[in-house]
Order: sequence, then structure tokens, then C-alpha cells
Amino acid sequence: MELREDLRPFRRRAAAFFFLAFAALGLLHLRLADLQVVHGVTWRNLAENNRLRRVPLPGPRGWIYDRRGQVLAENIPTWEVLLFPNEAEEVDATGIFLARIGISDIETFHQRLAERRIGRMAPLVVGEDLSWDQVAAVRSHQSDYPELAVVSRFRRHYPYGELTAHVVGHLRPVSKSEVEADPRLEPDAMVGATGIEAAENDFIAGSSGDRWVMASAVGLQLGVVSESDPAPGHDLGLTLDIELQRVAAEAFGDQAGAVVALDPQSGAVRVMYSAPSFQPEVFGGRLSRSDWRVLQENPAHPLQNRSLQGMYPPGSTIKPFFALAGLEKGLIDPQQTVYCNGSVVLYGHRFRCWRNGGHGFVNLERALTESCDVYFYLLGQRLGIEEMASWLHRFGFGERTGLDPVFEAKGLIGTPEWSRQVRGTPWYPGEAVSVSIGQGPLLVTVVQLARSFAMLANGGRPVTPYLVSPQRAPRPDPVVDPEHLALVDAALVGVVHGPHGTARRFNAIPMAGKTGTAQVARLQEGVDSKDLAPELRHHAWFAAWAPLDRPELAVAVIVEHGGSGGSVAGPIAGKIIEAFLSRRTQDGFEASFPPPSDQPASDASG
Amino acid sequence: MEHRVDPWLILAVVGILGASLTTLHTVSRVVGTNLLMRQLLWGVAGLMTLWMLSRVRPDVYLRLAPVLYGAGLVALLAVLIFGVARGGNRAWIAIGPLTVQPSEFVRLAVILMVAAWLADRRGDRLKKRDVVVAVLLVGIPVGLIILEPDLGVALTFLPILGGALWLGGLPRTAWIVLIVLGVISSGAAWRYVLKPYQKERVLTLLEPERDPFGAGYQVRQSKIAVGSGGITGQGLGRGSQSQLRFLPAQHTDFAFSVWAEATGFVGTTMLLLAYALLFSRIAKVALTTDSRHGLILAGLVGGWLIFQVIVSLGMVLGLLPTTGVTLPLFSYGGSSLISTCAALGIVQSEWRFRFVNQ
Repeated sequence: MELREDLRPFRRRAAAFFFLAFAALGLLHLRLADLQVVHGVTWRNLAENNRLRRVPLPGPRGWIYDRRGQVLAENIPTWEVLLFPNEAEEVDATGIFLARIGISDIETFHQRLAERRIGRMAPLVVGEDLSWDQVAAVRSHQSDYPELAVVSRFRRHYPYGELTAHVVGHLRPVSKSEVEADPRLEPDAMVGATGIEAAENDFIAGSSGDRWVMASAVGLQLGVVSESDPAPGHDLGLTLDIELQRVAAEAFGDQAGAVVALDPQSGAVRVMYSAPSFQPEVFGGRLSRSDWRVLQENPAHPLQNRSLQGMYPPGSTIKPFFALAGLEKGLIDPQQTVYCNGSVVLYGHRFRCWRNGGHGFVNLERALTESCDVYFYLLGQRLGIEEMASWLHRFGFGERTGLDPVFEAKGLIGTPEWSRQVRGTPWYPGEAVSVSIGQGPLLVTVVQLARSFAMLANGGRPVTPYLVSPQRAPRPDPVVDPEHLALVDAALVGVVHGPHGTARRFNAIPMAGKTGTAQVARLQEGVDSKDLAPELRHHAWFAAWAPLDRPELAVAVIVEHGGSGGSVAGPIAGKIIEAFLSRRTQDGFEASFPPPSDQPASDASG
Repeated sequence: MEHRVDPWLILAVVGILGASLTTLHTVSRVVGTNLLMRQLLWGVAGLMTLWMLSRVRPDVYLRLAPVLYGAGLVALLAVLIFGVARGGNRAWIAIGPLTVQPSEFVRLAVILMVAAWLADRRGDRLKKRDVVVAVLLVGIPVGLIILEPDLGVALTFLPILGGALWLGGLPRTAWIVLIVLGVISSGAAWRYVLKPYQKERVLTLLEPERDPFGAGYQVRQSKIAVGSGGITGQGLGRGSQSQLRFLPAQHTDFAFSVWAEATGFVGTTMLLLAYALLFSRIAKVALTTDSRHGLILAGLVGGWLIFQVIVSLGMVLGLLPTTGVTLPLFSYGGSSLISTCAALGIVQSEWRFRFVNQ
């Protein structure tokens, strides 16, 4: 077949062009042969040595301070071993090596490996709090175990340890589901588990940055490929006074119970302590199973924050509020007397006064200072349960104070409606009589009682307890008539300073308060609480405020199964108040420690 | 008389697409989206485009060329005004759920226009005036694309101009003038036009270990990937360079490196053979057609595709600077795949109607 003659020059040029093109393709093929066949092994070795590692740069958590700038939580440097799982050839051998130098036992090592999150190239913390010897051991075996890396990290440290374990809280490792929900969280980050660490976690926590480094086959860093800076968290100032906290802890000794003290004007919490306590740093690393079991199975339940979570019958400490209710409703005249012969029969049941022989004729003041039960039985019967419940709510019982968003208990105010819906049994009118002396279906938390006594001390205004400054709110109006409050307050001064007051042994301390002894088990006639088994003894309460003229501290103390309120709980409250008053008069009290500079909303003055 | 579509060419295209889809499947997990299904759809659409355009008589392309060229210029202007920015380039237009890169199709229009214009010339040498026309025909769309700015795509227009001048027949003196001009302008470009990072790319070519974590990083990782494939490769989805993300742009610019790491010299040789087969079938059209238009068209399409393959592989293998030119039929991307298949379809139309008198 003949092709057109006139196209011949074009065909010649096209042929030359395609010839050149194939020559170029041939050159590329030669280059491929050189890279892949001739030097393939060299490049393969480079690929083996080529390890891009992502090293998280943790953003340090903010520090926590007390009201005077004493450090309650800080970060201290520590050595950790990281494992890069995708680089490990013989993970079992690595585990044995770590066990041999005492960094991690083999079981824990494999457990951590199983829990790791796949797909983020994230290193795994396989050992923390290394000693210098262990750091040296890992470093010297670096070429045998290139998948390991020793890094310096920060560990949370609580200088006051057990003293602040409940209020400041502690940390826990972040859970798998939280990491999946928030990609910015590192798989081995620590987040707040309880207390302020949990409640203010978003504010305190820093956000981590990351650094991509290229590392050789022997774990040497060849260079940083890219890096983003971590952002440190904010520092936080609390209203707590660590010296008062220490006094409280020492006063408790080895008794179980809790105390809350707050500024009755502002609600700033000065003391919040639950006994027994625990060492919060056992949670800072990875908690071993045996440590956890010891804490869990301790019969004294040290992990429970009794000041917020413990619900107790208030006993006689509730009486001032029913006295106020009676005055407000016009049901009692302060001078009118009731005759107490040691018991009274109501609804076919004999209700006993705590004093077997009776108090004789008692008016309102004596009923409070000497804590006459019969007076309040009769008052309770006249008030009725609905009226009593409504007044208790007015003083903040039955509601969370908001100090802890997760763990706080609400307490309980039993009413006929509650009885029907929750308990499933009818309401007995006699229960209202029990409630009137703080027994029966009535449970309060220590912080609720502290708040209610703060209201007695501040002129009857509701306050919200806080550890971190809240936003300023207008001062609420009193919920009771000031004249009525004055009557009750005077009686509570009499509890401490009157000749027959149930807490008269503390009359050297300028405070007012109310004792309470809450029954745990119904007493047989003629049996003393002291003779009962320890877990059946009465709870001892004391709630107070001081000083008398312008109250600056309201305290509520419970000693579980302590017996009589005045003799067991009273001294603890007394010591806290004495310490508070003596520190208050010291020079330079207010201007002592300025709050840290980057603290946005601290409570310096309370 | 009519001929069938060249089965060897179809074999080459399907072979390259198969290797491409395999590679894209193994990097889907790394890149984080399922690339396989989308590119498979584009591949099917490409083959249908190829087949349909091969059924159209060549003289239709001859007559349509000016219209398509004009439409292409309008599209480029539209991109500059309404375009969607992606990675710093305003090169895409959103049509419903799709984003299309018009410059890929404008290149086809330019090839058709240049071929139609050259086929219309008399004699076998270009005149001075013709050179000016050729430079303008290619230069105007290139100027618009540089404004986007998409230098990688603009670069792929260079072989169209070069091919036109070479095939059209330039006097020897003109070549000398062009070469001198080229040297001067590249010197000027180095001094005034190129940005520091672009200069850095050229310098790392001369001295690969210059900055292994900066400008040289990508090319170094690519060479490690290709080289560590060895003779038989590390296996599909097993290459550490790819799976541990050392390689950048694994589905586009460096897709070939992924293939090379996984399948080794055996796989790269097969892929290069597939490209060689493809180009030889285009060359066959150019050398056996009886139509001046067909010869020039096949030459220009071949020139463009060969240029793009060589520049792309040269970059991946560390022989040429990083420019962002993709490997035709292999890199992920719908616009590029469709326009390549369309070009092959037009060449096939010349093949099927090569003995029909015009």
C-alpha cells in the first residue's frame, strides 16, 4: 500500500521524535534497574532505618493553689519508657527485658499492649517513675531494643497528699472511648477523676502538641520533621485554707467523719476534709490491681468523700430550723413553755427525750440550748411534714450545693409523696415527729449542714459554697424574719455560753453552735450508746459559727459512730475555729500571698 | 473503509488502569478515603469516552477545533473568576458534586486547534509568521493557566508547542535562535520568577543530600520507596514507606513509588512496557496514516503523553525537579483520566478512518 508522498518529511520528523521518546523511556528504565536491582539492598536498608516517630509533647496541667498560694497540686519531672509497638520485632523479648530491670512485670506489660489503640502510631507508656539505674539500663541496651525510648515527662504531685485527697481529687488514665470521641486526647493522657481535678479539668488541662521525628534503626533521632507546640493548662486558685485543713485532719485522728467550713458571707469553702483519707498519688501512675483492692475493700471506705457523698441523719442540729419554722408560722411564742417529763405519747407511740428524767418546763431558748426533744416533738406535730419539708428546702437541704457536679449527694427529705413513690409504703404521721428531732426519713450531707449554719450566721441569706470563685451574683434576701433569727441565734450562743448548754465546755471559744447525736440503731431502754458495737453507735454532730459579732466561719463536723455530739464532734469544730481566729489576728493576714499571675478568677480575700 | 479500535492500545490502557487501581486500593487506608471505587468509575467513564470519540469522523474534529478552542479560553477565564481554590491553586470549577479542572480539557482543545491549523498549512516548512501564530495559539491559554497559578499543568503545554514546531518543520537557524532564547529566559526565570522553594527543588536534584528533611525530603523518601522494592517488591500493601506514611501524595504525584515499592523491578518493568506499547500504537497511527491532520494529531498527543510520563517518572526517580506533573492514566484524578482517554479516542478515530479519502 502506497502512502502519500508529500507527507514523507512529516513522517520522518515524527519517527525521529518517537525514537527519542523511546530512548528516554529506556533511560528511565535503566534508572529503575539501578535503583531497584543494583542498589536495591542499600535502599531497603535505608527504609528499614527509616522510622518516623510521633512523640507527643504533653501540655502540662495547671497548678492548684490554696487561698494563700500554697501549692496543692503541681507537676514534677519523671522518667518514662515509651514503646513504639510497630517497630518491635520480638515484643515478648522486650517484655522480659523490662521485667528483668524491674520496670514492669510481664503481665502488666502485655495488658497495656492489649489495651493500646491501634492506628495512631502512638507510643505506649510501658514504665514510669524510673530510677537513674533503670534509665541507664534502657539507654545502654538501646541498640538491642530500638523500639524503646526513655523520655522525661511530668507527674502530678500533691504536696499535702492525704490532706487534700478528696477536695483536690486525683487523676486517672483517659478511657478508650474518650480518646475515640476526642482526637486531641493522647491515648495515655491523664484526666481529672475526682474533686477539683475532675470538675475543672477543662480549665486545668493543657493540650498536647506533637513532634514527628525520624529515628534510625538503633533508636537514634535523626531529626525533627515537624513539630507543633503544646499549650499548658491554666493555674487555679482555691478558697481552701490548707492550715485549717491540717488542723481538721489532726483533730480527727483516726476517727471517721467529715468537716466542711465556709465563709458564711460569701460561701467560700475554707475546709473540706473527709476522714479517713488516702494517698492520691497512687492514682497518678497506673494503679496496680492489688493497691486498688486494698482501697476498695478497706471497711472505712477511704475513697468516699464523706463531706459531699455521705448522707447522715442530722439529729438535733436540725432543731434550729424547725424553731425558725415555728416562729415564722406563728405556732410558737418564745416565752411559752412546754412541760418535758422525759417522754410524750403521740399517735399511740411513746417518743422519748434524750434526758430520761425530763427537762421540766422549757421555753424555746432552753429547748435549743439543752436540746429538749419533747419540745420539738410537739412542734413537729403542729407543723406537719409538708411544712417542715418546705422550710428545710428553704435552708438548702434536699438539694445539691453544686460544689461537685458529679459526685455530690442530694440528701433526703421524706414526705408522704416520697413515701408513696419511692418507698412504696404509706406515710405514718409518727414519722413527722421523728423528723422534728432529725431522725426518721431525713438525711443531710455535711456540706448542706455547713451551708445551713452559714445562713444562721449571715442573717438568713442563702449562700452557695464554692472552691473556685463563681461569677458575682446579687446578695439574696433573707429567707426568715431577722427578729426570729436573732432569737434562735441567741439560743445557739447559749448552747456554748449558757450555764446549761450542751456544748458549754467550749465557752472559752467565741462561737455559737448546736450539738447533734444521730441514732443509727434504735436503743433499747437503759442501754448506753457507748456499750453498743462500734458500727451501731450514734453519729456525733457539731455545727457552729464564729466569731459571735461578725461571723466569718461556719463549720459542720460529723464523727461517724462517735457517740455524743458535744464531746466528740465539738472539739474538732472548736480546734478549727480557734486556729481560724488566731490566724485571723496575725499580722499580714490578708496581704500574705498574692495569687499566681496567670490565675484568671481566684479568690484571694474570700 | 472502517477499521476496528486498535486492541493493543486498549490492552495497554486497561493494563495501566489495572495497576493504578491496585495501587490506589493499597493506599486508601493511608490516605483515608476509598479511592478505588471513584477511580474505577472514572476508568469506566474514560474507556467509554475513548470508544465514543473513536466513532466520530476525523473531519468533525478538524471543523470543531476553533469552537472548542474558543470555549476552552472562556472556561479558563471562568475559572479565574468563579473557580474553587484547592491547595493554593484556583484551578477547579464546581459543577454540582463534581469539581472539574478545565485546564485538562483546554489542553485537548489546544492540541486539536494546533493540529487543525498545521494540517491547513501548505508545504513542509514553517514560515516566520507561522511560528508567531503557533506561539500565540499555545501561549494564550498557558498564560491564563499560569495566572491560576498552576505551573505543573502549564508545563504540560510545552510539548504541544515543541511538537508543533518540530513536526511543522522549523529552519535550522530558527532552532538556534530558540535554544539561545531558552537559555536566556531560563536564566532570567531563575533570577526573577522562581520562588525560593522552587529553586531549592532544582538544587536538591544536583545535590540530593542537601536538605533531607526539607526540600529533598519527598524525593528522598520516593527514592527509598522505589529502591527498597528491589527485584520482586515487598508485596501489595506491605511497603513500609507507603504504609508508614513516609511517602507524600501517595495517590497522586508519588503513586508510581507505591507501585514500585510493592511490586519491585518486575512490576515497574511491566508498567513501563505498557506505556511503551501505548506510545508505539500512537506512533503507529502517526507513521501509517495517509492524512496530514491525523499524523500531526497523533504526534502531538504522543508528544504530550510521553512528556508527562517522562517528567513525572523523572521526578519520582530523583532525576528531575518536583513539579507536580501527574502520571497519565495512573495517578488519581478524574479530569486527567478523562482528558487522556479522550485524546486517545481522537487518535483512534484517525486510525479507524485512516484510509478514507478526505
